[in-house]
Amino acid sequence: MKGNNLGEFEELILLTVASLAKDAYAVSVKEELETRAKRVTNISAIHSSLYRLEDKGFLISEFGGATQKRGGKKKRFFQVTSAGFVVLREAKELKEDFYKTIPQLAIIHI
Amino acid sequence: MSTHQKYIIPPRAAEKLLRLIYDDEMLDDILGDLQEMFQDRAQSKGLFRARMHYFKDAFLSIRNYDLRRKRKVIQNNSIAMFKNYIKTTFRTLAKNQVYSALNIFGLALGIAACLFIAQYVSYEYSYDKFHSNHENLYRVKYMVYRGGELDIDCAAAVPRVGPFMKENMPEVVDFARAFPISGVFEKDNRQFREKRVQIADPAFLKIFDYPLIHGDVETALEGPNKVVITESIANKYFGRTDVVGEDINLYTWIEAKLEITGVTADVPNNSHLKYNFLISYETLNNQTRNDDGTASSETAWGWYDFNTYVLLKEGTDPKAYDEKFAEILYEERGEDFEKYDFKAEFPLQPIIDIHLYSNLLQESEPAEQGDGDTVFFLSIIAAFILIIAWINYINLSTAKSLERAKEVGVRKSMGAYKKQLVNQFLTESFVLNLIALLLAVIVVIITTPFFGQLVDSQISRAFFLQSNFWLAVAGIYVLGSFLSGLYPAFILSSFRPIQVLKGKMTTNKSGILLRRALVVFQFAASITLIAGTIIVYQQLSHMKKLDVGFDMTDTMVIRGPQVFAVDSLFGSALSSFENELKNNPNVESVTNSSNVPGDEIFWTRGMRNQEDTQDKNFIVYLVGVDHDYFPTYGIEFLAGRNYDKSFSADTANIIINKATMESLKISSPEEAIGKKINLSGDKGTIIGVVDNYRQQSVKNSINPLVFPLAENSSSFITVKLKTGEYQAAYEDGKSIFDNFFPGNPFDTFFLDDFYNKQYANEQNFSRAFTLFAFFAIIVACLGLFGLTSFTALQRTKEIGIRKVLGADVSQIVMILSREFLILIAIANIISWPLVYLIMDGWLNNFTSRIAIGVSVFIISALLVVLIALIAVGNKTLSIAKTNPIRALRYE
Repeated sequence: MKGNNLGEFEELILLTVASLAKDAYAVSVKEELETRAKRVTNISAIHSSLYRLEDKGFLISEFGGATQKRGGKKKRFFQVTSAGFVVLREAKELKEDFYKTIPQLAIIHI
Repeated sequence: MSTHQKYIIPPRAAEKLLRLIYDDEMLDDILGDLQEMFQDRAQSKGLFRARMHYFKDAFLSIRNYDLRRKRKVIQNNSIAMFKNYIKTTFRTLAKNQVYSALNIFGLALGIAACLFIAQYVSYEYSYDKFHSNHENLYRVKYMVYRGGELDIDCAAAVPRVGPFMKENMPEVVDFARAFPISGVFEKDNRQFREKRVQIADPAFLKIFDYPLIHGDVETALEGPNKVVITESIANKYFGRTDVVGEDINLYTWIEAKLEITGVTADVPNNSHLKYNFLISYETLNNQTRNDDGTASSETAWGWYDFNTYVLLKEGTDPKAYDEKFAEILYEERGEDFEKYDFKAEFPLQPIIDIHLYSNLLQESEPAEQGDGDTVFFLSIIAAFILIIAWINYINLSTAKSLERAKEVGVRKSMGAYKKQLVNQFLTESFVLNLIALLLAVIVVIITTPFFGQLVDSQISRAFFLQSNFWLAVAGIYVLGSFLSGLYPAFILSSFRPIQVLKGKMTTNKSGILLRRALVVFQFAASITLIAGTIIVYQQLSHMKKLDVGFDMTDTMVIRGPQVFAVDSLFGSALSSFENELKNNPNVESVTNSSNVPGDEIFWTRGMRNQEDTQDKNFIVYLVGVDHDYFPTYGIEFLAGRNYDKSFSADTANIIINKATMESLKISSPEEAIGKKINLSGDKGTIIGVVDNYRQQSVKNSINPLVFPLAENSSSFITVKLKTGEYQAAYEDGKSIFDNFFPGNPFDTFFLDDFYNKQYANEQNFSRAFTLFAFFAIIVACLGLFGLTSFTALQRTKEIGIRKVLGADVSQIVMILSREFLILIAIANIISWPLVYLIMDGWLNNFTSRIAIGVSVFIISALLVVLIALIAVGNKTLSIAKTNPIRALRYE
């Protein structure tokens, strides 16, 4: 199922939204990514990921918080759905699974 | 993030850009984010950089345009509405069956006609484009000026010019000559007379795309006595195609055993140069060797039988080439030009232009030569028919608008937007056009072979496999649906719901005017086509009826034998054969000659009065005849006498036609008798002058002809029959022929058929013209039919009142038809000058043409009025007869 696959960037976005809790909208996600993950991205990339994740059902959005700074325009706040949390957990478990099976030898050599 | 920041207005242009892409909801959302970032950046990084960033962000956001689409579909239900439109379209179609049938049938007819023509036109334009070199391939024309006047304008050049160009013009990549002959080929005692035999240079197969199936392209035409044949010829003689290495015998003025070195696919139909056999050029050289070892087929500057093709380097300008070559040619030949007071030119002609834009002496396929004007003409007709069909749709749909008005009213009062109504009616137009298109395509695919026969074109269903065809179809479809649907859609959607539902419909003035203009246009086009058809037909029958100056009834022609064992015996065999033929009671007379009327003469010479100097030479065409030629053909003597068997000196005497006499500057036939002439060095005395007859069709001018006595001319044996007993004469002739000339095919034709074949092009044109005029008229009438219903409906109340007040049926019919008669009158006035201009131009192509008479205009006008009255009459009558109560009861 294509819908359950999570790209690396998407996963990052999803995590960001989850960690921002109630304050996740495009600009705040972008800032959070820059400060925490040192990833500089364009806002349009954030937009397309957010909307795509919403289409996949991992995010939901609602309007709120129009400010003058935004020219009176409302913010679209995102929240992670339960499906979103499920895929995040799956992605994490999958990685952990792999880490467990990496032979110790290989690590020593490095 | 302080909330007390000063708000700075971001650049408007970026916002506009995003507005184009996103709908309002998305715009707010995205633009809000951008603006927020802008404000922050303006604070921290300065206004300029903030602006740059803003632009960059807006620009990069374009990539998210499809986010909007996904949302929009969910947001408004246009797919669902579209389904609904299609549903209502089919309901409307089913409810108004006559109207739908008229509409679909008219459109289908128009589209079909257009596709037919498109097919024909694209085939005509496709000639020689299959050669991968076609853009750089040229044929070398041969033009000779004498005394400043163009004397020869010929498709075939002289043998020397090809090699000479290659030696002197670095632009020439390669050249190839093709010298057409005909002859009898023999294999295993089976003989066939073959046409399309070309003697060709080795490069022929390299510069043209005639791929070899067997054999080696590099060597196939190298060396003497080699031949390359086509696949179907291989099958004809051998029953298989891998025949490289086999021998085949050729009998003509060259007799040779030829080794087959290659087999090519059959020549495509859309080639101006066709062959069944390609004989190596060295074969010819061996036949024309001079004492010093050179061959005149390599060195001659005056023997113009050689189609010469040059392949130029990419990007060579032919004009500049011509100029440069003229100078080089002058260095080589200038002395001769000065000495004999003439000038030769060898201009280049792109090979892709040959089929449509060339009409020279010695074309390779003269009967197949197309006519660029005709093709262009037909394209125009196609466009007109299509436009007529679309206009029909427009007229019929708007005519129907009264009945649709209620529907529109209800939809609008239920909250439909105008845009949605436009979409609905456009959908209707697209659906109707699609049905018509499918119908048209099916009809065209089914009837293509018949159409091909009708216009005698090689078009085939293969055309439908081409992407161009489907592109044209798609283009016609989209364009047609929009053009024909847009106007009705806007008319219908602009109805004001309250007025409609109240039953107060007013028709607007400009709409009526437009409809009238469209009807006038349709009829002007129809009248032009009808008048054109009549004129083409008149010209054709004029040409056929024209006195050609000889008798071609009951005349059978046998192609002369070309295979014979011993040359010296041929003369006596021929005369014995003729004598035996004459014994048949059906045969009136027999004559043999080098040409018969209706075929192109290739035997030419220079002629002058004996006392004149060589610069007075002019070109004459020679027909070798025997003693019976003139009596058999019924050609009249203006002065002097025919050749006589009792005068042995007649071999030095000469008979000429009137045109030759005029070229010799002799004023009367009587004066010409006894004059001494010089015919390319041979001296002779004129003993007879015959009247000009049409050696070729009236399209050609009358050439100076000279008839030397050549008793053993073997090309044609003409048999004049007493009665119509063709069958007996044929069978008798065949058995005698086989007796005298075993191994020769008995090949005959009737002279009138043969002669009239020259008019094949005009005949095809006439048939195509008639067919499409017919199409156009039917389509136009369908429109008229619909429109009458419309007018009549609109005037129902008026008619009711008139009837109540005592008008009778005939008066009412008159009132209703009057408008159309006026429109037709206007259409006539518009189309007459058009017809005159166009057809006068066409008629000027003929040396003998008809004048455009008044009758043409009267006939076409009457015809259109009649057709229109029939179309109008039926509906009008039924309305005129209706009980007035029905019309008035709602008032």
